[in-house]
Amino acid sequence: MYDEQLRRLNRWIGTVLRGAASALELLADLVSGTEDVELHTVVTFRAIVDAVVPETPELDPELGPAHVPGGLAIGLEDFVVTYVDDGFQFGLPYLGPRGNIPLADPIAQILDIAALTLLDQGDATGELDDDRPVSLLAPGEASPRAVRTAAGPFSKLSRRDRLRAIGLLDELELELSQFEGELFEFDGGLVGQLVVGFTEMIYYSEWQGYDEFTQPPSERVHPNDPAAVQSWRQTGYPGFSDGYAALRGYLGDDDGPLGAGDVWTTIDDDQESPVRIVREPGSFRENDYETSDYEEPFPE
Amino acid sequence: MVADDYDVIVVGAGGDGPVAAWKLADAGLSVLVLEAGPFYGNEKWPKPSEEPGGAVSSSVADLSGELLDEQFTTREFEMVNKLLFGPADHERGFWFRKFPGDGAILQCAGVGGTTLHYTGCHPRAYPASIDEQGHWPIDYADLLPYYWEIETMCEVTPAPVTAKEELFFRGAAAAGWPLLHDHNVTEPGYRPQPNAIRQPDPKLHVDAGYDGDFTYPEVQGDTLALGNIAGNPHPRGAPYEEKAKRSSNVSFVPAALATGNVSIRPNAFVTDIRTETPLGDTPSVTGVRFRDTWSGRTERVDAEVVILAAGAIETPRLWLNADLPRNEWVGRGLTIHFGDNVMGLWKADDLEERLGKGTVDQHEGQDIAARFDYPGLGMLQTVGTTPGVGAILGFGASASGFTFQNDPTDAPWDTMGRLAGPELKRLLAGYPRMLQILVVSDDRPHRRNGVTVTPGLADEHGPIPVVNYEPSEGDQKRRDELATIAADILREAGASHVHRSDSPPTALHVHSTMRMGEVLDEACEAHDVDRLFVADHSALSNGVGGANPTNTGQALAARTADKILERYF
Repeated sequence: MYDEQLRRLNRWIGTVLRGAASALELLADLVSGTEDVELHTVVTFRAIVDAVVPETPELDPELGPAHVPGGLAIGLEDFVVTYVDDGFQFGLPYLGPRGNIPLADPIAQILDIAALTLLDQGDATGELDDDRPVSLLAPGEASPRAVRTAAGPFSKLSRRDRLRAIGLLDELELELSQFEGELFEFDGGLVGQLVVGFTEMIYYSEWQGYDEFTQPPSERVHPNDPAAVQSWRQTGYPGFSDGYAALRGYLGDDDGPLGAGDVWTTIDDDQESPVRIVREPGSFRENDYETSDYEEPFPE
Repeated sequence: MVADDYDVIVVGAGGDGPVAAWKLADAGLSVLVLEAGPFYGNEKWPKPSEEPGGAVSSSVADLSGELLDEQFTTREFEMVNKLLFGPADHERGFWFRKFPGDGAILQCAGVGGTTLHYTGCHPRAYPASIDEQGHWPIDYADLLPYYWEIETMCEVTPAPVTAKEELFFRGAAAAGWPLLHDHNVTEPGYRPQPNAIRQPDPKLHVDAGYDGDFTYPEVQGDTLALGNIAGNPHPRGAPYEEKAKRSSNVSFVPAALATGNVSIRPNAFVTDIRTETPLGDTPSVTGVRFRDTWSGRTERVDAEVVILAAGAIETPRLWLNADLPRNEWVGRGLTIHFGDNVMGLWKADDLEERLGKGTVDQHEGQDIAARFDYPGLGMLQTVGTTPGVGAILGFGASASGFTFQNDPTDAPWDTMGRLAGPELKRLLAGYPRMLQILVVSDDRPHRRNGVTVTPGLADEHGPIPVVNYEPSEGDQKRRDELATIAADILREAGASHVHRSDSPPTALHVHSTMRMGEVLDEACEAHDVDRLFVADHSALSNGVGGANPTNTGQALAARTADKILERYF
């Protein structure tokens, strides 16, 4: 199963790079048992978001109800798909309308391979559960049977095991490098970056506040209202500001020219010349320097 | 329009290229600067991410603070996407560069280059890294006059103190480290950042009760809004040249344009270096070929001298893709300041006691304004971030898996690894009470690390850079030692929880891939190609000891400009 998946993935990548007319169509053709490729990708990215920034009722007693909703509550998965599909380009027109390389589908496939590898190695802490992907969709969004059929093993893992599977992708990169073309030799690491790092960054950034981020920059509107962004309500970030009256002063002592004037507070009383925060800015000393007594702490 | 020939072509308007352009133009030479990314804040390109705009900018009157205000929104996600290395057209993705593992390379495109989102930190190299580590063919003393020149142009001063710096300084002092007063650092200790950001308006003191707008001219200089990683257009309303952060587009580009001898051509990706070999031995450069990133058209320009200043990834890539002699060190010896993040989280009561308020408020003040130096190891610096950047920088990646896969019982930190799920949400709920420390180690140049190109892996500008980086045992030890010191400082400052990322190799500072002494001679002219110079961080012979590299890169570029004048004009 694992080898077969790898072979399919590699054929897909190779064909995309050789100029396939429709990557989606081709993938649909290649991946047997997956009737609806789009649904597979949708379910997989929901499973990603559900693991990386989950709904957390367990935080309610500790932190309050504002900390319960996660990425799925704000449609983060839709934007992550758009972002990874539009995010990188090779400037090669056959890869997409703007030369961007669509990555969401291959990422979803790679995550299934990672899930199978996790199971293969006996490192999964739980079993695959067909109901997990179904629970990621709203009632009526798609029939449970269709979801079960379309969903890959990644989305059937527990949240923790999904993260473990993502973590395996660095090891996977070595295996992928053996294939022709070698373009995707690095992509194990890239997957983790995109589905963990960038998903976290997007979630905690201002992204949710835009009407539509994909608009041209000059037409984007953002309310910059702390109440308008779920993650800002969870972090207490007050929104972007033009400035703050937050100056405490400048570091200084009596031995150098760093800062001077009224003392606002003392940092270190123990010194012969106490270190303080003072009112007036100063400058660094243009000192003579001596390096002949330099010793390597950790020689090469 | 771009003319057919110039005295000098500079490839790249990043941190260092504009310095060389300014110096050479000031001496009367005609200079063309070719930049792959857009030109923000310039009236020739009113919508630089949406329309091709004008052809070239040759006048300081083209610069517009108003346009910069409009284009640099300070919204973190939007600005990171805008500034990261890619074509101007917002509908097209980043230029892809291959990096091993789950690390990343940080490069920016646009006039100003990676100084568009650098945090203004402008310390000098540690003198020992130049005079004692054996990599450099010149002395630290040779750089001093150029440091003075650059620091004056960039208005480098000790950074101001807000709550987060006070907290760090209290921790460093309590841990027993001394305060350093010096430009030329030879001993460990803490000090304010030498920042190329104008000092804040005195009326912004916490005791002054200021409640007005933070716009120019009411407020001049730094406004203490976090925003350098997002471009920092503050103070809003200020003319282009009066913006507080002295990134190269604000410090050197106006000075270069004011000479009347410089033309800057954005959206121009240089794809080839042209040479002739009249005497049948060493080739001599005759010009470059570039591609317009909007139209796809290519153009040829001739020059007496070509300066490569495309950065430590793109400069060797361009060399390797051009028909130039192969020197065994071209692209090799990469240093990236192999880094890490150590984060402290405080209880409100403990903060109240130390700071007089229950929060750190990392979003107030300059992004990076406090530092710890340790020549031989590297440095630490406090980093205030907006939550999204903070999440990806501190929690989104790790070389040791997720926190739940690690047992840090005997370690100086409470948790280590990548964070996701409930752990991530719980920690980020403490955003107002946390502070990250960036660990920046003095990694050393090794030939195995660097940039190569592979014929099959190409984009529209030719084979892409494939970057390899594997830290040495010494690099690992230096970083571990610094991370331990960081944890100690945070504990001494009262942090109740310390988290270490154990970041994978991530290239925020990128240098030494076209090393002076190996690829370049003492004037930064290529050994193997006459009249071809390098004036960017790739020319640095090592990672300058782990100190932020911008000051040294710019000082060396200024020196290279003087050497070009001596040799050829």
